Amino acid sequence: MRATPLTSIASLAAVALLATGCGQGLLGGGDGGDTAKTNEPIVLGMLIPQSGSEAAIGPYMSNAAQLAVDEINAKGGVLGRKLELKTADDACDAQSAAAGANKLVTEGVDVSVGGYCSGATLPTLPIFGKANIPMIIPAANSQELVDQKLKHVFLINGTGTQQAAAAEKWMTKQGAKSVALMHDNTSYSKDIALRTQALLDAPGGADTALIEAVTPKESDYSANITNVLAKKPDFVYWTGYFQEGGLIARQLRQAGYKGSIMVGDGSVSPKLVEIAGPEAAEGVYATMTQTPDTLEGAEGWIEAYKKKFGTEPGPYSNQAYDAVRLAAEAVGKAGGTDGAKVIAALEAIDGFQMFSGPLKFTPEHTLSNGGFQILVVKDGKITLQDSLK
Amino acid sequence: MTQLIWNGLFVGSFYALVALGYSMVYGIIKLLNFAHGDLYMLGAFAGFAILGAVGGVSSSMALPVLLAVLVVTMAVTGLAGVALERIAYRPLRRAPRLSLLITAVGASFALEYGMRAAAGADPRVYPLRLGGSSLEVAGARLTLAQLVLVGVAVVLMIGLNLLVTRTREGRAMRAIALDPTTSSLMGIDVNAVISRTFFIGSALAGAAGVMAGAYYGKIDFLMGFLIGLKAFTAAVIGGIGNIPGTMLGGLVLGLLESFGTFWLGGEWRDVFAFGVLILFLTVRPTGLLGERVTERV
Repeated sequence: MRATPLTSIASLAAVALLATGCGQGLLGGGDGGDTAKTNEPIVLGMLIPQSGSEAAIGPYMSNAAQLAVDEINAKGGVLGRKLELKTADDACDAQSAAAGANKLVTEGVDVSVGGYCSGATLPTLPIFGKANIPMIIPAANSQELVDQKLKHVFLINGTGTQQAAAAEKWMTKQGAKSVALMHDNTSYSKDIALRTQALLDAPGGADTALIEAVTPKESDYSANITNVLAKKPDFVYWTGYFQEGGLIARQLRQAGYKGSIMVGDGSVSPKLVEIAGPEAAEGVYATMTQTPDTLEGAEGWIEAYKKKFGTEPGPYSNQAYDAVRLAAEAVGKAGGTDGAKVIAALEAIDGFQMFSGPLKFTPEHTLSNGGFQILVVKDGKITLQDSLK
Repeated sequence: MTQLIWNGLFVGSFYALVALGYSMVYGIIKLLNFAHGDLYMLGAFAGFAILGAVGGVSSSMALPVLLAVLVVTMAVTGLAGVALERIAYRPLRRAPRLSLLITAVGASFALEYGMRAAAGADPRVYPLRLGGSSLEVAGARLTLAQLVLVGVAVVLMIGLNLLVTRTREGRAMRAIALDPTTSSLMGIDVNAVISRTFFIGSALAGAAGVMAGAYYGKIDFLMGFLIGLKAFTAAVIGGIGNIPGTMLGGLVLGLLESFGTFWLGGEWRDVFAFGVLILFLTVRPTGLLGERVTERV
C-alpha cells in the first residue's frame, strides 16, 4: 500500500480527467467550494499503528474501514462520488503520528477516520484542524482529546469517564469491598484507573486498596502482584492492554489470588484468553463498548469481514467501520466535503445507527451514551455478562 | 520478604542469561551488540516454531520436550548469532567504533521487523506451558517450573564459566580480549574464536527466550527490546566483560527491581533501579567485579 501512493495518485488524476472529459462534471455539485472536486473520490484518511508495539491493531481497523468503503462504493458511493481510504502509520508514537498526519493532509484527505493510541492522536489534532479536516476518532478515547473543545474533533468510542462509571457500577453490583486498580502508566490506562478511584472514593460501596502501575511490554509482573496481594483485595481491575492483561491475570492466579479480575476495553481480545491460558482467564470480567460478538445481528458483518480478509475482526474493527460509515453519512448530509459543513452535519446527527447504538454527539463531541457493558470470559470465549442498562 | 527475594532472583536469572552474551561480546571485541536482545526474541520464536512442528505433547512430557527444544533452539540462535557477526560486524571490525554501534542498532531493527514480517505483529502464545502447582518455602510461593528454570540457568552459567576459565577455547577468548593482534601472532584464529563467542552468547540468549516463552507464554517481535536494555544494565552493574560479575549483575538488577516495586510502588521501580545504577557507576564505574581497564598504548 505504502509503496505506491504516487502511482495511485497519478491513476486517480487520470480517471478524474477522463470523467470530466465525459461531461459529468456538474453531477451532484450544489456547493460552490466543492464543484472543482465533484468527480474526485472522497478521501478518508486513517492514522493507525502499523509498526511498533501496537502494530497488531492496525490491520483490524484498516480492514474494517476498507470493508465499509467497499460496501458504500458498491452502493454507488456518496453524492455520486466514490470513497477512497488512505492509511498512514502512527506507530503509536507522537512524532510518527504528526508526520503521518501531515502526509495525509498533503494527500488531500477530506475526513480523518483514524486514531487508536490517545498519546499519538493528540498531536495530530492541530494538524488536521489547520487543514480544516473533520476528525472522527474511532478508538482513542482519552479525555484530553476533547478537553481542548476543538470543533473538528469527534470521539465515537466511549470515554474514560464513562468506562470508569461502568466499572464502578459493576464492582458495587458484585459486592466488592476492596479494589486494586492496576494501570500501565499510559495516559489512556491511567485516566481510567484514576477516574475509577475517584468514583470508589465516594462514601459507601467498595474502597480502593491501592493503585499499582506496571511497566508495559515486560513478561514478569510478580513484583507488582506481590504488592497487590499484600493489600488483600477482592477485586482487581486492570485498565491497560491485552498483552499485559493476559499475563497479569495468569500471574495473579498463579500467586493464589481467588477474587474477581476485571480488565478494561484495551484488553478485550481473544488473545487475552490465549495469553492467560483458559483456566486463568475463566471468569475474568471486562468493561467494553459493544463488539460484533455481543451485538445481535452482527453475525453477517463478521462473516463479510472474514470472507474478505480471511481473519476474524478484532478490537476496534467495528468502531473503524462505523467511523467510515459516519463520515460518509456526514459528507452526504453536508452535500460536499467542506470541513465546516461536515462538522455541522456531524453535530446535527441524531439517531444514526452504529454498533454502539443510535448516535447523538454531546456538546463535547463525545457519545451521549458510552454504551459500556460487562463482558465475561466463559468457556474460553468472551461473552456478554451484563449490559448495565 | 522471602517472596520479594525469590521474585528478584527469578527475574534476575533471565537478565543474567541474556546479559552474559552482551558481556562476552563486549569483553572480546568491545562491541555493544544491541541486537543481542533480539536474539532472545529469535530464540523464543524458534522454540515456538519447533514446538509447533512437533505437534501435540501430553502435559506429563512437557518438561523433557521443552528441554529438548531448548537444546535445538540454542543451536539455532547460536548459528544466527554467528551469521549476524559474519554479515554485520566482521566487515566493520576495523571501522570506527561508532559505525559498529550504529550497525548493531540497525541489526536490531532488522531482526525485529524481519520477524514481524515473517510471523506477524500479533503476539503468539506457546502451545506448551509450564504452570504446575506451587509450593511454599519459607514464606515464599514458588513453582516447580520456576525452580527448574533457575536450575537450567545456573547450569548454563556454571558451564560457561568452566568453558572460559578451564579450556583452551576459553583461554583463546581471554587472550583475544586482552590483545587481538598479539593473539593472532601467537597462532590463535581470531575470527574463529570470535564466531564461537557469538555462538555461545547467542545460544544463551536463545535459551532464555525459550524459557521465557514456556514460562510466561506470550512472545512477540518486540519482546527483546526491553530485556536487551535490562541485560545491558545488568552487565554494566556487574562489570561488563567479566563473566561472574555479569551473572551477579543480573541477580542484583532483579532484586533492585523487586524491592523498588515493594518500597516505592510500580511506577517508581525503574526510577529506583536505574537511580541506583547511576549512583553505583559514579562510585564504582567498572561495576561490581569489573577490573580497572588499563589504557592500551
